[in-house]
Amino acid sequence: MRKVLRTTAAWRLSIWTTLAFAVGTGLAFSIVYLFVARIIQERGDAWLRGEAEVLSQVSTDTPRDHLYHRIMGEVAELATRELPDERNARGQSLNAVFFLEEDRDHSESPLWVGPSAQDAFLKAIQRAEPVAGKPQSIKVDGWSTSFRVVALHENGRTIYLGLSNHGAKHLLDNLTERFLMVWGGTALMGFLISYLGARRTLLRVERITETVARIGTEDLGERLPAQAKSDEISRLSETFNHMLDRIQTSVNQLRCVTDAVAHDLKSPVTSIRGTLESALCNDAKEEWRDSVGEAIEGLDRLLHVLNTNLDVAEAQAGALHMDRSALDLSDVVRRLVDLYHPAMAERHHEVSVDIESHVIVDADIRLLNRVISNLFENELTHLPAGKKILIRLSSHDGLTELVVEDDGPGFPADVSSRAFERFVKGKHSPGHGLGLAFVHAVVQSHGGAVNIADRPMGGAIITVSLPAGALHPV
Amino acid sequence: MRLLLVEDDIAIQGFLRRALGEAGYQVDTASNAKTGELKALEGSHDAFIIDLGLPDMDGLDLIARCRAQGSSAPVLILSARRSVDDRVKGLERGGDDYLTKPFAVAELLARLRNLLRRYSVPQIDSVRLQAADLQLDLVRHEARRGDQLLQLTAQEFSLLEYLCRNAGRVVTRSMILDHVWRMRIDPATNVVDVHIYRLRNKVDQNASEPLIHTIRGVGYVLKNA
Repeated sequence: MRKVLRTTAAWRLSIWTTLAFAVGTGLAFSIVYLFVARIIQERGDAWLRGEAEVLSQVSTDTPRDHLYHRIMGEVAELATRELPDERNARGQSLNAVFFLEEDRDHSESPLWVGPSAQDAFLKAIQRAEPVAGKPQSIKVDGWSTSFRVVALHENGRTIYLGLSNHGAKHLLDNLTERFLMVWGGTALMGFLISYLGARRTLLRVERITETVARIGTEDLGERLPAQAKSDEISRLSETFNHMLDRIQTSVNQLRCVTDAVAHDLKSPVTSIRGTLESALCNDAKEEWRDSVGEAIEGLDRLLHVLNTNLDVAEAQAGALHMDRSALDLSDVVRRLVDLYHPAMAERHHEVSVDIESHVIVDADIRLLNRVISNLFENELTHLPAGKKILIRLSSHDGLTELVVEDDGPGFPADVSSRAFERFVKGKHSPGHGLGLAFVHAVVQSHGGAVNIADRPMGGAIITVSLPAGALHPV
Repeated sequence: MRLLLVEDDIAIQGFLRRALGEAGYQVDTASNAKTGELKALEGSHDAFIIDLGLPDMDGLDLIARCRAQGSSAPVLILSARRSVDDRVKGLERGGDDYLTKPFAVAELLARLRNLLRRYSVPQIDSVRLQAADLQLDLVRHEARRGDQLLQLTAQEFSLLEYLCRNAGRVVTRSMILDHVWRMRIDPATNVVDVHIYRLRNKVDQNASEPLIHTIRGVGYVLKNA
């Protein structure tokens, strides 16, 4: 059950978040660092250039006698004092300044004022050969911080003034060091926070996954627990619960339908089996014919139930193949009335027909035939003998209405609200509860509606309304 | 007339072979598409009866292959698939007629006759039909039993005409609905029987011999007893 850490989304998510955070802050710091370093350097360079010019001026103005070295030395000494005296914890000065003046031809010994012996500096300067007037960084042996050195040529002499702004470097180093500490700390903390947060959230998803997996294999009745927060994940579990509700309803319906089909098939199968069995035990050949015929009729009834079931299922699933065209519903109804009238008359029903001519609908002729024949079959099977049947077809305001009403007992109370569901039928109904379900499903897929009701004066009334067809016959 | 029956269900194959044999056809059988194709290409059959659900190939593909190799005999498709789409597909892919299982043997025979006729001499519609002492004048819409004129409605006349055209052969209720009323519905009630009953009252009432007979569980037949 325990997953390898690296395969979890929480892990990956926090790695990426932390990485992005670290890179972002690192970049920001680098920019600040470079900016500060440049300002410090510029200020140092400006000081160097100013001082070097002053020194050069003094050097030009001072006569070259035996006092020259002393005067220059003191002026240089004074210049170094201009810098703020920053000292570190051990009391060492953080700034170091040197001054060097030498002949172009090295005839005299150079004038040197500096923090330590001149040799290392001389060597470094010779190596670097600084360009006049332009400060340049020079690394001097024995010094950790490099010197910014500016050179000035004057009357065949060259003045070098160097500054090692150790304090500034110290400051920047300090800054970097602290930044790195804080940076590492926040990155680590950020990682932990985002990892824990993501894990918390994703654990809820994980719980949903586990529950759904359990529902998939075990109990369809189980539901995801309600979530306290109202966020994406709680909506996910709500959606899952809705879906499960629907699945459970369909499964239950399916179970009911299967039970009903099985039940509906059992009695014809039993009677067919009985008929054939008794025929086998009987020797008279003429009676065999009857039994076999009866068995075939039973099988046909059985087949009828099966086929109607499939049709209704198909229609309710919206999977009916429809081949719609503009057709004259008046003609369709008339032909079906012609077909059914004798059977109705046989049962002593009094049939009155009121059919408006040229009522056009846009429908599938085969399905419509079956819908109307189902309505008439309904009257034949459910109506006690000797009743009045009224068949009326009319069209007004873009709506076509086919009404079949009778003065029979009406719909049983327990049926009328659910009459369009499969296998819903009256307790004493000889049918299978499929007829109206089929009618309803087909009419609905034609964009119409079916309405059933009891008439106030007794009897049932079924109204099928269809949208009128676009085309009208000439 | 020689038929090729391609059907993998042995029980169905058996009863069809028997029924077709009794109806006077010679029947070759194949239980899978491979054998069916080999036998079909011998070219000696007048019609094929092909089941769609074969073990090794879809029946529609078998029909397409036979057609591609020049076989032109009419094909009657048998299928357990009952949707309109399947029917249309079957007829588009080279089938000539389509019958869904289960079916009445009477209907199979009728469709087969129809196919064989369609593929031989075109049928000439006669203006007069006769069966025993029953005479139908198709132009005047008059029916006589012996010398007595029968008072029939238009619908009763069509019904009698259909029975008369199939005189001696059993027609089922769904065949009657399909041909006389031009609708494919499957009523659970006795609507057709009532029409037959009324027609029989007019045709057989004053005659010594009844002409319209009920074959229980199957349908009706018009013949001399």
